[in-house]
Amino acid sequence: MTTATAASSSMRRSRLSEFAAAVLTIMVKELRSRFRGRRAFVVLTIYLAVLALIAYGGYVVVAPSAREQAQFGGSANASATVGYAIFILLSLFQLLLVCFIAPAFTAGAISLEREKQTLDLLVTTPVRPGAIVVGKLFSALAYVGLMILAAIPLSALVLMYGGASVDDIVRQEVVLLVTAVGFGSIGLFFSALMKRTQAATVLTYCAMLAFTIGTVLLFIFWSVLSTRDSANSFGAPRRAPEQLMWVNPAVAMIDVIANTEVGFYGPFSSIVTEILGGQAGVICQGDVCFNDPGGPVPAGGVLQGAVMVDLAACPRNERCLPPDEASGAAIAQPVAAVSGHFWPRFSLTFGLMSLLLTLASMRLVVPAGMRFVFRRHKARTTGATSGDLPIEGIES
Amino acid sequence: MAPVIETRGLVKRYDGELAVAGIDLVVESGEIYGLVGPNGAGKTTTMRILATLLAPSAGEARVCGIGVTEDPIEVRRRIGYMPDFYGVYDDLRVWEYLDFFARCYGVTAGRRATMIGELLEIVGLTDKRQAYVETLSRGMRQRLCLAHTLVHDPDLLILDEPASGLDPRARVEMREILRALRDMGKTILVSSHILPELAELCTAVGIIDRGHLLRSGRIGEIERSLRATAVLRIDLLSDVQAAIDWLGTDERVGDVLHIEVEAGDGGARIELPFDGPPDAQAALLRAMIEAGHTVIGFTQATSGLEEIFLKVTGIDEEAVA
Repeated sequence: MTTATAASSSMRRSRLSEFAAAVLTIMVKELRSRFRGRRAFVVLTIYLAVLALIAYGGYVVVAPSAREQAQFGGSANASATVGYAIFILLSLFQLLLVCFIAPAFTAGAISLEREKQTLDLLVTTPVRPGAIVVGKLFSALAYVGLMILAAIPLSALVLMYGGASVDDIVRQEVVLLVTAVGFGSIGLFFSALMKRTQAATVLTYCAMLAFTIGTVLLFIFWSVLSTRDSANSFGAPRRAPEQLMWVNPAVAMIDVIANTEVGFYGPFSSIVTEILGGQAGVICQGDVCFNDPGGPVPAGGVLQGAVMVDLAACPRNERCLPPDEASGAAIAQPVAAVSGHFWPRFSLTFGLMSLLLTLASMRLVVPAGMRFVFRRHKARTTGATSGDLPIEGIES
Repeated sequence: MAPVIETRGLVKRYDGELAVAGIDLVVESGEIYGLVGPNGAGKTTTMRILATLLAPSAGEARVCGIGVTEDPIEVRRRIGYMPDFYGVYDDLRVWEYLDFFARCYGVTAGRRATMIGELLEIVGLTDKRQAYVETLSRGMRQRLCLAHTLVHDPDLLILDEPASGLDPRARVEMREILRALRDMGKTILVSSHILPELAELCTAVGIIDRGHLLRSGRIGEIERSLRATAVLRIDLLSDVQAAIDWLGTDERVGDVLHIEVEAGDGGARIELPFDGPPDAQAALLRAMIEAGHTVIGFTQATSGLEEIFLKVTGIDEEAVA
């Protein structure tokens, strides 16, 4: 029994190392092709140059007003303004570039092999389809990852000015990498699905736009329609489910940026609040309450849809929701909860989606003629061993 | 020992159309088996099934005793496959190309280094080691592809039309390489739509048409079995129709295939199939002369391999119809 377990575990380990070796084989070949010639280095240089220009542009635009601000004291704050501006620009532009670059590296990964008729040679080797897919994905991501990592020193510039912490930069990198993995695996999936690279590329970019812009449009339409719903007698603003935005990398990045904002109603925080159901967001600072995103509201209470929020019951610096039906007291929510909501959810959802798409792609790389073959030998071998066991028992 | 290739009742249907209609193929170890047939006969389909790229619709195919659908990975370790159409990775160097496939088969680093040199020598690409694959000529690519099938020292090579699209000189080179591989003891399944190309190379051939394996065996055996239904060429000086009518009474004689009327007198040359060994042919000639027919020529139409091939596919076509 123990020997059997040991044997099976060593077999599993050897299969795993075999798989890893195969993935490495594919990666070595892919990266050899990718870094052949000057192209890869030129692309990386241009990418970094563009980002550096953007960061510098941000500095040039923001610095004068920051200097002015510094004359009235609070130079630390002024410096943070510069850092904050650079952080926003770098985060958004990097995201934009990753959204367009990551799919380009994978959308042809499998279909190009089909078009150039090299896939038959590859799949008649013992390399498993899973290793082909993972190897292709990793080698594409290795390059995109290199671009993202190479830009970290630029992001770290922010630390010099203040305005964003190391935490924020880590979050930014996580969102960028998850976006690259997500869109990379979408490209790979379509590449495995379609015969032609052209079709795969078009579909991949359509999917990319659907995730980034489509979800926003859908969210707005959904919100407008449900607000206009005849059952909504008060005409109170209603929101589409925020889960729609869990797959939107832009919202995740905005969420990361929102964390660096000072105060509770910066532009990025209010976008996040808006998605989360801005109608319930009343921010109270001392006696003054703000009905986000509007101005101050009269003390004593504020109308939220049809429910009155009792401001006396709302603690300082807390965002208050309409009262709980049972207790009648206003529900307090910490202000900090406004940011940090979307990026972890995005990372999880997108990561899970990538995993599923990669698994689906593995299925699609198996030669079409062999895709649904039932593997009989497994059933046969297990049947044979269980049949042998009792006889051995009797003999011993 | 199990035969290297064994198929039983192999059937492949594409959208209801039969590409392979029940092929029983046995290839023993060390043989060079030529699969001959016109385009669309089912050669490529049969080979793709053996190369684990296609699952058969019915029947079974075994390579070294392993079912191709039962354990395709294990089958792949034992075969080297060269498809009829394929591409190469343009942006790799020749040695990198072979190194990649050797890694795919899990060949160790130390073995890879020496083996790549050996393989390049076999296929005559030693001086192209550092060249990019895209700079190679068609014949060189074909040889490189052949080299890639050898990286894991497989028991069986499946080569689909390895000489197609090559100029005569490259064909000769390809044939020399295959001969060298035969001497190394490899079992090779090779296809072509041109039989003579394979005739001197192969130890056995199978003639395949419309999904059926019409004949299979050593070339000599096939020729002998066909000689039984030889085509007789008879030159007559006169009374051709009377001779044809007389011959028609013999049940071993088939319908006239060809009549060539000679200019001037009423003589003609006729060709007709005769189902009988040489001594029966002699008896037929004697009988014809005794019956008073003016026979001035009586020969067996020379049956080159190409003719055998045409005949086999032609005759069985009639049988099927």
